[in-house]
Amino acid sequence: MGSVITNSAQETIEFGKKLASNFKGGEVICLYGNLGAGKTTLIKGIALGLGVKKVVTSPTFILMNIYNLEPRTYNLKCFVHIDCYRIKKAEDMENIGATEYFNDPNSVVMIEWPERILEILPKKRTDIHITIKGKNEREFGVNDIWNAKMT
Amino acid sequence: MRKSRQIILGIESSCDETSAAVVSVNCQLSTVNCFEILSNIVLSQIDIHKKYGGVVPEVAARQHVKNILPVIQGALDEAKVSEKDIDAIAITQGPGLITSLMVGVETARTLAYVWDKPCVPVNHIKAHVYAAWLSSNAHNSPHSPLSLRGEEKIDRVPPLKVRGGQEELLSELIKFPILALVVSGGHTELLFMKNEKSFKKIGQTLDDAAGEAFDKVAKILDLGYPGGPIISKLAETGNPQAFAFPRGMMKSPDFNFSFSGLKTAVLYAVQGIQKQKHKKFQVSSFKFQENVAASFQQAATDVLVYKTIKAAQQYKIKTLIMGGGVAANKLLRETMRTEAEKIHIPFIVPEIKLCTDNAAPIAVAGYFGKVMPWQKIEADSGLEIK
Repeated sequence: MGSVITNSAQETIEFGKKLASNFKGGEVICLYGNLGAGKTTLIKGIALGLGVKKVVTSPTFILMNIYNLEPRTYNLKCFVHIDCYRIKKAEDMENIGATEYFNDPNSVVMIEWPERILEILPKKRTDIHITIKGKNEREFGVNDIWNAKMT
Repeated sequence: MRKSRQIILGIESSCDETSAAVVSVNCQLSTVNCFEILSNIVLSQIDIHKKYGGVVPEVAARQHVKNILPVIQGALDEAKVSEKDIDAIAITQGPGLITSLMVGVETARTLAYVWDKPCVPVNHIKAHVYAAWLSSNAHNSPHSPLSLRGEEKIDRVPPLKVRGGQEELLSELIKFPILALVVSGGHTELLFMKNEKSFKKIGQTLDDAAGEAFDKVAKILDLGYPGGPIISKLAETGNPQAFAFPRGMMKSPDFNFSFSGLKTAVLYAVQGIQKQKHKKFQVSSFKFQENVAASFQQAATDVLVYKTIKAAQQYKIKTLIMGGGVAANKLLRETMRTEAEKIHIPFIVPEIKLCTDNAAPIAVAGYFGKVMPWQKIEADSGLEIK
């Protein structure tokens, strides 16, 4: 458990990159925060950190975007970006095959609006709560359920 | 045997519309359009998804399964053709909702197998551009009428291969290079085409699609789904200058877009007024919703038009095309037309029913596309422009 404060979109991107540098595969990161909190910005930072070449755009419409990663030191192959904004039932995410990526050792999964699919979220996950402190100031409360369980 | 006329069956199921169309391609005649829509049936699920505030994937897929064969049969009946007359089947392969796409793809594969017909997988985004080939105003361009040049060549060529004569004929209709703006619920992309088959993405949204911004703003204002038509209607009586919403990336040197900041600015404006609720203002009063809708629509339109016109000038294009669901927006259509006229570039935007999801442009895209063995055709929700 810890929190990080950023004062600009650029700082949020840097924070995302830093987070990404620790990913080895199997991570599921849930982002909680309202519209405009900076979820997309943080995800862009993480994608940059993972070396995603393509532009990371909102998956609201098609619910899930999958980006293939260049081979790295670890066995990371996929960056999976899921958006539950339009989802009413957790089942919808199972139907499109999203859950197959949860804790998959070759994938890093980011989930926006995870509160809509709480019942199917894996226990091994990292929760990040984003709070809007000021016009550009954001607080990222990181709750690493995964590591807590392992230690 | 010579075959100068081809009949293509298009099938579309990428989101919440089940559609089938029969399009006849006949480039031999000089006085009529190359592409003629013999039938175009669209079964919308909007009423079903309205109560959920958006498309529910599972519900959509079930509806597609239920509707797709009657829709295809209806399209064949209306076109007065039977499966024997069909020369090829064109199918939306992606992008879209995977569960929706799969219904169309599996149906097309099955028909291709049973009827023994060639099948062409189609990119939905490209099809939005090809809708311009079906547009009646394309044929009123100063470059018409067509000449009969190349008729002999056309006759000899096998189906589904674009060849010299064909390209020449079409190029008199729609001049290349082309710049196309595709704006929809899932996409905002600027595409450069140097010929009928070549697509190069020169700009795109870096976050939300334009249509997504309309949907989200409608949700913020508590107006329902889908957002586009509702916002557009409300905006008619609102003041587009009431709120100074940001024009994202207007000054950036590239041709990319951003609508995330605009959506957030609308949210803050609404939250601001909600805080004063107990005082004299209310979200529903003082034309607040109308003014937000009008100001938002103006901001989105300004950026889309500005960047598109800038790209049109830089790439020295000869025709500007707009397609996709958001291209149905009246303000966007009018503003784009005015600005294109100012720089003397012919502008084609298909009629509204050809802008929103439908199968007729899928058939056209199939004509320009590549036949693939049905065994190899798979739905791809994230299909890229290549």
